[in-house]
Amino acid sequence: MTESNGILIKMEGVKKVFYTDEVETHALSEIHLEILKGQYISIAGPSGCGKSTLLSILGLLDSPTDGNYWLNGQPVSKLTISERTRIRNREIGFIFQAFNLIGDLTVYENVELPLTYRGTGAAERKQKVQHALERVGMAHRLRHYPSQLSGGQQQRVAVARALVGDPLILMADEPTGNLDSKNGEAVMELLRDLHRNGATICMVTHDERYAHFAERNIHLFDGRIVDETREVGASA
Amino acid sequence: MDTVRQDVRYALRMLWKHRFATFVCAGALALGIGANTAIFSMAEAFLLHPVPLEDVNRIVAMVDSQPQRVENSPVAPATYLEWQSQANSFEQVGAYAWDGVNFTGDTTPQKIQDFLVTTNFFSVLGVQPQLGRDFLAEEGQPGRNQELILSHGLWERRYASDPKILGKTVKVNGKPFTIVGVMAKGFDYPMSAEAWLPMAFDAKARVDREHRQLWVLGRLKPKVSIVQAKAEMLTLARRQADAFPDFYKSFQLRVLPLGEYTAGDLNRQYTLLLLGAVAFVLLIACADVANVQFARVSGRQKELAVRTAMGASRSRIVRQLLIESVMLSLFGAVIGLFVAQWALTLILSHMPPDIARYVAGWKTIHLDLGAFLFTFVIALASGIISGIAPSLMSSRANISETLKESGRGASSGRARHRLRGALVIAEVALSLILLVGAGLLVKGFHALLSVNQRYHPETLLTLNLDLPDVQYPQKSARAAFHDQLLASLATIPRVQSAAMATAVPYSNGGGISGDGFSIENRPLEKREEARSAIMETISPNYFALMNIGLRDGRVFADSDADNTQPVAVISGSLARRYFPDENPLGKKVRVGDDDSNPWLTVVGVVDDVHYNWLQKNDVPTLYRPYRQNPPRYTTVVLRTDGDPLAFVSAVRSKFAAIDSELPIYEVKSLDVVINESIVGIAYVAAMMAAIGVIALVLASVGVYGVMSYSVSERTHEMGIRMAMGATAAAIHRLIIGNGMLLTAIGIAIGLPLAFGLARALSSLLFGVSAADPFAFIGLPLILASVAALASYLPARRAVRVDPLTALRYE
Repeated sequence: MTESNGILIKMEGVKKVFYTDEVETHALSEIHLEILKGQYISIAGPSGCGKSTLLSILGLLDSPTDGNYWLNGQPVSKLTISERTRIRNREIGFIFQAFNLIGDLTVYENVELPLTYRGTGAAERKQKVQHALERVGMAHRLRHYPSQLSGGQQQRVAVARALVGDPLILMADEPTGNLDSKNGEAVMELLRDLHRNGATICMVTHDERYAHFAERNIHLFDGRIVDETREVGASA
Repeated sequence: MDTVRQDVRYALRMLWKHRFATFVCAGALALGIGANTAIFSMAEAFLLHPVPLEDVNRIVAMVDSQPQRVENSPVAPATYLEWQSQANSFEQVGAYAWDGVNFTGDTTPQKIQDFLVTTNFFSVLGVQPQLGRDFLAEEGQPGRNQELILSHGLWERRYASDPKILGKTVKVNGKPFTIVGVMAKGFDYPMSAEAWLPMAFDAKARVDREHRQLWVLGRLKPKVSIVQAKAEMLTLARRQADAFPDFYKSFQLRVLPLGEYTAGDLNRQYTLLLLGAVAFVLLIACADVANVQFARVSGRQKELAVRTAMGASRSRIVRQLLIESVMLSLFGAVIGLFVAQWALTLILSHMPPDIARYVAGWKTIHLDLGAFLFTFVIALASGIISGIAPSLMSSRANISETLKESGRGASSGRARHRLRGALVIAEVALSLILLVGAGLLVKGFHALLSVNQRYHPETLLTLNLDLPDVQYPQKSARAAFHDQLLASLATIPRVQSAAMATAVPYSNGGGISGDGFSIENRPLEKREEARSAIMETISPNYFALMNIGLRDGRVFADSDADNTQPVAVISGSLARRYFPDENPLGKKVRVGDDDSNPWLTVVGVVDDVHYNWLQKNDVPTLYRPYRQNPPRYTTVVLRTDGDPLAFVSAVRSKFAAIDSELPIYEVKSLDVVINESIVGIAYVAAMMAAIGVIALVLASVGVYGVMSYSVSERTHEMGIRMAMGATAAAIHRLIIGNGMLLTAIGIAIGLPLAFGLARALSSLLFGVSAADPFAFIGLPLILASVAALASYLPARRAVRVDPLTALRYE
């Protein structure tokens, strides 16, 4: 497996089982998946089908119970927590449904966070944060706190935070779930712009309208991929 | 560094955001840290710098000790002289002996605290006079020892820092002595010394192994360790014991660093007790803060999960939380320093100067660099102790679960609850130990106060005098002096009676030692079984004046004079111990075993007197009438009908009329004498009481915090229970029951530990029983009641929960 063939993510036979009080819950079963660099992929399915679990494993927030996972040609399914943390910091950007901005940090500090953990110098951080916020149109809100922003603005800041470290892939978990339709649209447009500029995006959504923004739609049911469709002209 | 700065900035922001919790935690830590810093400052002065000397580690003290006696024992002249000539580990071996002399002839007659010292004493200590010279070797010869060296303080006070003082003659106990030196400011070793006189050994003293009065110090040779010196001295001591078993058998030589010797075992024990107690308080405060930190980080699970998702490693998360915790404790430490300064000011200002000068290191107590460093270190440690568990546990939370919209990151919730419960249990256990310790000490202190109430000490005036040999060489002269004095003092208006004794209870700091005595027709089989009693010489009216009851026989009469049958009155404990199954009246006893001492016929038995706070049991006492044994050192006691100090000027006039050259000293009410004698244990008791109360408050805050947080976490559960029909009483029972369960476990763990402490204290203190019902039933009940109240408040909040609101609570 090399990255020269354009495959950014490859999963083979990935399973995830949760064990709680002697109860086994099979959240994912036999997941086979490839994502190419530059692709925009959506994962859809009913509640409890395993979408978020799959995204957590894709984003290295969790590890599979079984199966193999390569990210950019590197096997990552059996990494230690600290190795996963390091790769997550450098290669993956996250956008959450609830924005998950830290309320006690300013916009600037929130966006700066991944770079801080990467050990980037202050001057470079400043330049990159500025650039990321300009990309999402939030450069004028540097010193604001999340509570002083609208939901749409908060999600833009979250997108800037996901972008700031130039990750290989953006993982978006229901990015419009907490937004009204107008702001939801705006965020989806923003993601589409990013994709057009070369970003690889993997988005979980249960909203059919937004799934069509992606060029590939994967459907999950009971922890299995049951269908995949391709959107013609999506993101274009 | 940049990232640490970021963490510090964020920590400050967090602390300010949750400022109520911050101030509560900082307050708890300030109490713990402040108490530690204050006690550390005292411990530093008592244990680390009790002697104002450089090179103190090269000086050792050599003392004897006896099993079951707290105090060390001095050695006899012959013992010292052998050590001095035979020991190879020392550059020099010197000695000193307590003394007290009257200075007369120049200005006002004054009683001076002097020490008799060997002529090399200052060389052993490595000091020299600031003015004049040290003693010369030949000044240690009998008849040549007519010089003295003044302390800087005495030179200032009595001689107004006269630069021409050297060569001046002063009358010491009526004999002329020449001042040859003045020591530097601050040097007053042995503590409280005002003057030093050379010690001379005559031929009799050189072979004397019996009269123990010398405290021996040695300066180690370079490259000789204290361990080596100790080994050599023990060999020497063993050789002496083999050669003269009668004099050494019950003694064991101790070779101690000078600092440890000067600090004293008792001071050391109580200082360590207080250090341990305040360490417990700090641990309780840390547990409180840890509980608050648990609650705070629980509310920040999402933030921590976001940080982790953004690439923060576990160590980075732990570091950030620890920085917050350490910042909090540093804040507490800053307040703690003020608490410590306040506490030290309080402690120092309430110590009577007459006592303070006898406490080694007392005058060096202050917040110094060492105390600041100590505060900084314990603040760091407290921050880490209180923050580490919440940090580690929070950093383990399930990120992806927490990041979900409704995720609460509760994966480690059960473990967290268990740990918080364990912290409260530990707090309760530690508090109980402290409360029991404090309770017993306070009780012991009260027992000391009440045992002396029978004397009605508040209306007794006491004063000391020493009759110099020069003016009063004959027994008859001393008896006549006392006859005249007591008769004269009794004529002072509103003085009900005037009596005298060798020593009144608690005088001389309670330092009254016993002497041996013999019983007619009962020779001792072994010397180590020697009979011992406090020897008192009193006026006939002393028992009546002091309210010491007669049990059998009679007390002394004015007719018990030099030319009548020598008589003695004994205490009940002497009768019980030495005449267990017989009537002691009519039996004959003799002071010491010297045939030249007369046999005394026992004519009465009186109640026991408690002489000092260290005395656990009654000490046998033997009384003699002063006309048959006129003493040189006397305490005069006057029963007045009001404030005893109002009679001082009248008393001085009477003294001046009899002997204007005779200084009287230690003029105090017996109340003050007793209070000064027990001020040390009063301090310990008061500090322990304060520590116990702080512990109780902190533990109740801990119980309240945990139960309050538990109620917040279980709001949803409460809603369900109430929707299912739970009554307010049932909710009360549930919450208070949980709190009381933790308290009960804490008490169950604390009780056996507290019992161990109680046993140790009961062996040390008068009036303290290891099985004290108040300590082991009353105090746990108080603790449980406070914990119940601390649980009740959150329970009351729980029953006010609206089930509809609670069921929507997520």
